[in-house]
Amino acid sequence: MSGARAGSARTEHGPGVLVAALSSAFGVALIQGTGLLDAAAKADPVTGASDTVGALLRVTSVVFIGVAMYSGAVVTTNTFSVIVAGRVRQIALRRLLGSTARAERGAVAREGLLVGLIGAVIGLVLGSGGVAAIAAVARAAGVLADFPYSYANPTALLPAAAVVLTTWLAAVVGSRRVLTVTPMQALGGAEERSEEEGRASRLRSGAAVALLSFGALLLFGGVAIGAVDPLGLLVAFSGGIVSFTGVVLGAHLVIPRALRIVGRLMGGSATARLAAENAVRYPQRSTRSTVGLLVSVTLITTFAVALRTFGDMITIASGDDPVYYAGVDTMLTTVTVVFSVLIGFSAVIAGVGLVNALSLGVLQRTRELGLLRALGFSARQLRRMVLAESGQLVLTAVALGLLLGTVYGWAGAHSLIGAVRGAPALWFVGLPWPVLAVVVAGGVLLTLVASVAPARRATRIAPVEALGVE
Amino acid sequence: MTTALPAQPRTASEHLEAVARVQGVAKRYGSGDATVHALRGVDLAVRRGEFVAIMGPSGSGKSTLMHLLAGLDSPTSGEVWLGDREIGALDDTALTLLRRERIGFVFQAFNLVPTLDVIGNVMLPFELRGAKPSREERTFIGRLLGELGLADRLGHRPRELSGGQQQRVAIARALASRPQLVVADEPTGNLDSRTGREVLSLLASAAAGHGQAIAMVTHDPIAASYADRVVFLADGRVVAEEGRMDAERIARFMLTLEDAR
Repeated sequence: MSGARAGSARTEHGPGVLVAALSSAFGVALIQGTGLLDAAAKADPVTGASDTVGALLRVTSVVFIGVAMYSGAVVTTNTFSVIVAGRVRQIALRRLLGSTARAERGAVAREGLLVGLIGAVIGLVLGSGGVAAIAAVARAAGVLADFPYSYANPTALLPAAAVVLTTWLAAVVGSRRVLTVTPMQALGGAEERSEEEGRASRLRSGAAVALLSFGALLLFGGVAIGAVDPLGLLVAFSGGIVSFTGVVLGAHLVIPRALRIVGRLMGGSATARLAAENAVRYPQRSTRSTVGLLVSVTLITTFAVALRTFGDMITIASGDDPVYYAGVDTMLTTVTVVFSVLIGFSAVIAGVGLVNALSLGVLQRTRELGLLRALGFSARQLRRMVLAESGQLVLTAVALGLLLGTVYGWAGAHSLIGAVRGAPALWFVGLPWPVLAVVVAGGVLLTLVASVAPARRATRIAPVEALGVE
Repeated sequence: MTTALPAQPRTASEHLEAVARVQGVAKRYGSGDATVHALRGVDLAVRRGEFVAIMGPSGSGKSTLMHLLAGLDSPTSGEVWLGDREIGALDDTALTLLRRERIGFVFQAFNLVPTLDVIGNVMLPFELRGAKPSREERTFIGRLLGELGLADRLGHRPRELSGGQQQRVAIARALASRPQLVVADEPTGNLDSRTGREVLSLLASAAAGHGQAIAMVTHDPIAASYADRVVFLADGRVVAEEGRMDAERIARFMLTLEDAR
């Protein structure tokens, strides 16, 4: 491989490796961390006899790892679809020279496997190393007792292997467009064509709507049952999982519409309108770059609202006993913080995807941005446009996530303790303002951070690049 | 270098009418042994209502000259005047504002913003300025869109238009704000010959009818034959210029330039 190709492979696959490494490191760290705590509990004569703590730790970490990997896979799918879009002419040329579409797609899938492998190994090292380092500090500080624990834990290989698998799958899904590249495209003019996107199948949309409606039915049914029996939580919980699967599966129906509405709120200046149009130009790409963020925000909000509503309802039901209240409050706050931090990690992965999508969007629009520069778009207007685009994506995901999370959280709390005597009315919701504020602040921060690199790249485009054909 | 055609003598009064003018401009890229002399001292003036074609073999410096005239690039030495303003030494921001207000562009391809409809593309220069067009300007734009046959396509996106229609939208956008200079870079390069001739007639009538100054870079003798004046460049110098020429003479002269290389 020549130096130039190695360089372009680094920029093309950098984000993929980063995301795979982050997911893998997170998964490995959680497994090693829970393994360590498990060993600590076993070494302790009091808790040593039962395995409940270990089992509980393992179940919760599987959920968090699953969310992180899902985010990572969606982001990687996007990365690969954009990579393929940028290679259309190259692929068309090889098709012209006799390569089959399947061989071309297979080549992309193999790159995915390699990206996944590299990322997984990096994550394995970083995740285990990170936990070992923290454990060493904790031991030195005397917080953690000295007991034997081997980091050569075979379970830690599971998240790494899962990352390889999901990255490879993401490459396969993301490279679907290779099949539509015709050899003719190597001959045609260099005119920039819009990225043709396969319409999502009716089956998928149908399944999404079915899951959503059935899930919603279970969710509200669970709340109704909860008014007489705490078993309602189980019904509402399955309703939550089913309906949210529907939301994620049908994100391509929901997010572009939401983006349009948010885009209209951005104002009517040329900059804002162009940004709004760009955000919905490739609905599938925009959906993929926001859905990870949507999942994270929804989960954080769900936990926070559920626990807060739960706490408030208990407090009201117990007749404002201040001593009781303080105890519940501390416990719930701790749980909320721990959950939010763990899910927040998935939000970081989603953020990487957002930066990536914005940067590649700018790269693909080089000539259009050059045209705008030639027509008199100032560098500042260009920066503002990228910022507005970033803001539109983040705002949409955060707003939808807060809305969904509030509904889920409300349903969770009411389905569990709606039957408690003295519980407040059905529509009571406890809003955890500090958590919501942190989510919104995180969204603002992400908007700013995500737009820095793409905006710099956009302003570096010379207006001359819009002239003539390559 | 042989000069087959004598350069036309210029008078002081012509300079006064010039809306865009370069004087002794040179442009060098790179340094040391790798230095490329794109322009080696060029004088050129475009007057109000004049349609000038800039021709030359590839590498003659015609694109560079156009970039300088359009405020897209700055010369290494020499002066570039747009109206009464010397723009050769302006910084990027100042050049951007200048392009926004005083220059119109028509390119070979990819002229339009794909996410905006026809009227959105035509009004873009006004919106960039943040200025609403006056009633008089709106009347002018309405008439322009009618003349260009776009009146019933205002809500179309570029991808719904043919190449010729897209180019007419670009011309409407370039003329709408009545800039001091319209710069056209191979405006017919991507069009079939009949559509290409239509576009050239539109440019020529914009110059004659609206008094618009237009500088067009091309290597197509037929395109250049629509211009009021043809300027030939070779190796970064003006080697000849003449009033209206027919395509055959232009082609023959271009061949002698190629031979001389």
